Amino acid sequence: MSSNVPLGFSTDQVINGVNLGLIVVGENLEILLWNDWMSRHSGLTHEQALQQNIVALFGGQLTPGFLRGLNNVINYGSPSLLSSALHRSPLPLYAQQEVSQTPVRMHQSIIMTPMQSVEGGPRTCLIQISDSSNSVRREKMLISHSDALKREAITDGLTGIYNRRFFDESYILAVRHSKRHRSNLSLFMIDIDYFKPYNDHYGHLQGDKTLKLVANTLFAQMRRPSDICARYGGEEFIMLVAEFTEEQAVRFAERLCASIADLAIAHPTSPVADHLTVSVGVQTWAPDQIRENLPLLKGADEALYRAKSQGRNQVVVKN
Amino acid sequence: MNVFSDIEIDALTEVFNVGAGRAALTLSEIIGEEVMLSVPSLKVLNSAEISPSVLTWKDGKFATVSQVFSGPFTAEAVLLFTENYALEIVRDMMGSQMSIDDLAEFEQEAMSELGNIILNASLSAMADMLDISLNSSLPIYSISSPQDIADRFVDCGREDNYILVLHIDLVLEKHHTEGHLIFLLSSTSLSKLITHVQQYLSNIL
Repeated sequence: MSSNVPLGFSTDQVINGVNLGLIVVGENLEILLWNDWMSRHSGLTHEQALQQNIVALFGGQLTPGFLRGLNNVINYGSPSLLSSALHRSPLPLYAQQEVSQTPVRMHQSIIMTPMQSVEGGPRTCLIQISDSSNSVRREKMLISHSDALKREAITDGLTGIYNRRFFDESYILAVRHSKRHRSNLSLFMIDIDYFKPYNDHYGHLQGDKTLKLVANTLFAQMRRPSDICARYGGEEFIMLVAEFTEEQAVRFAERLCASIADLAIAHPTSPVADHLTVSVGVQTWAPDQIRENLPLLKGADEALYRAKSQGRNQVVVKN
Repeated sequence: MNVFSDIEIDALTEVFNVGAGRAALTLSEIIGEEVMLSVPSLKVLNSAEISPSVLTWKDGKFATVSQVFSGPFTAEAVLLFTENYALEIVRDMMGSQMSIDDLAEFEQEAMSELGNIILNASLSAMADMLDISLNSSLPIYSISSPQDIADRFVDCGREDNYILVLHIDLVLEKHHTEGHLIFLLSSTSLSKLITHVQQYLSNIL
């Protein structure tokens, strides 16, 4: 840019006006340009920086990545990038803050490019530093929001246990896992007996409270982190447990029934008991019987249907 | 196409393996675990012959990082990684939990840096061993299909353009990935490269 052209501003004003750190380093790593942004964020004035060796100036605080980049530019004419994702804070630069606060190190993105001198002299290196603190903050916020949304998407809003969507996804993984590890897989479908009359008798508010209690009681029966317990529909729950023999699965199903009966929730309109009960359909598959396209769901569902038609408050095994 | 003799191909492969070694060192330093990078093979093709099948590329997307460099010869260097593998590497490098799909959009800057490290290491090895001086542009990142890439080479190809295809093996503790480093250069540039490789050989033999 020629300063003879009456633009109404000087190159210096532009260099010092940009919201970007600008440094030019010569072939002996001496600093040839240091803009105002650099002074503000490093605490080093032009006078302190100019003609100093950049490595000496930062007193050994330069990261290996930064030095490698500089070497690539000066010695090989290859531009270098330092992304904020992989480097965070290569230079000791700080966000501008109130004097009283402890200084916060700035996240940076750095681009280093070679500049060939017009007269054919040695190469210099232009270093551009941008403050990526805002994008890093935004990234963190987006990730935590997306984590929260993911959690919400797989949780049943009323009971707080997993929902059907999560179950459907995990079911496929569990089937594959069992096939690969040659282990049994048991599926339990659990239905609260005469829940509609219960709701009619006590009202929906009490009904919801009871659903929550039942959900959490069933959930508490699980022993391993790989077990899955989800709300499958209105008053229907589903559990998936690996590595049970058929007998163990039946005992577990009976324990599920007992755990709900033990709650001793009064159910005056139930024809089968004076307290709230559940029916359970269970099916256990040996590894060589498991087919992804022939789901266990159907067998356990049939067993549950039989448990209900045979008078409820019982476990029925599909075999 | 035998534009290079066997020994010249060996010499060039060696040059790029030195570059790969330098890149591996830099990557290890960033990730904090051992990275092995090697260039097991190299071939030269006329750009008119290029198609995804010639390059034995499978379907899917590639993450590409390219830099144009100039010096005694001019070439466009393009680094290709199968997108998912490349992103897994970046994810490892960052210790990120983000899904691969999110990462592709999110981490363009980090992907560019990964490419920049490997390309710069290759170019610096070439500069040192062939005793030449090169200048290069900033890396450009894009996601393309094999067909897009082949088309691009054919497009910028007048018939006398050549491409140098290097196979790259990248091994991290958890992942093994393969990529290609491709140099697109004119026949004039190719013959200058050959001259430099011959000089290098006459110096060491």
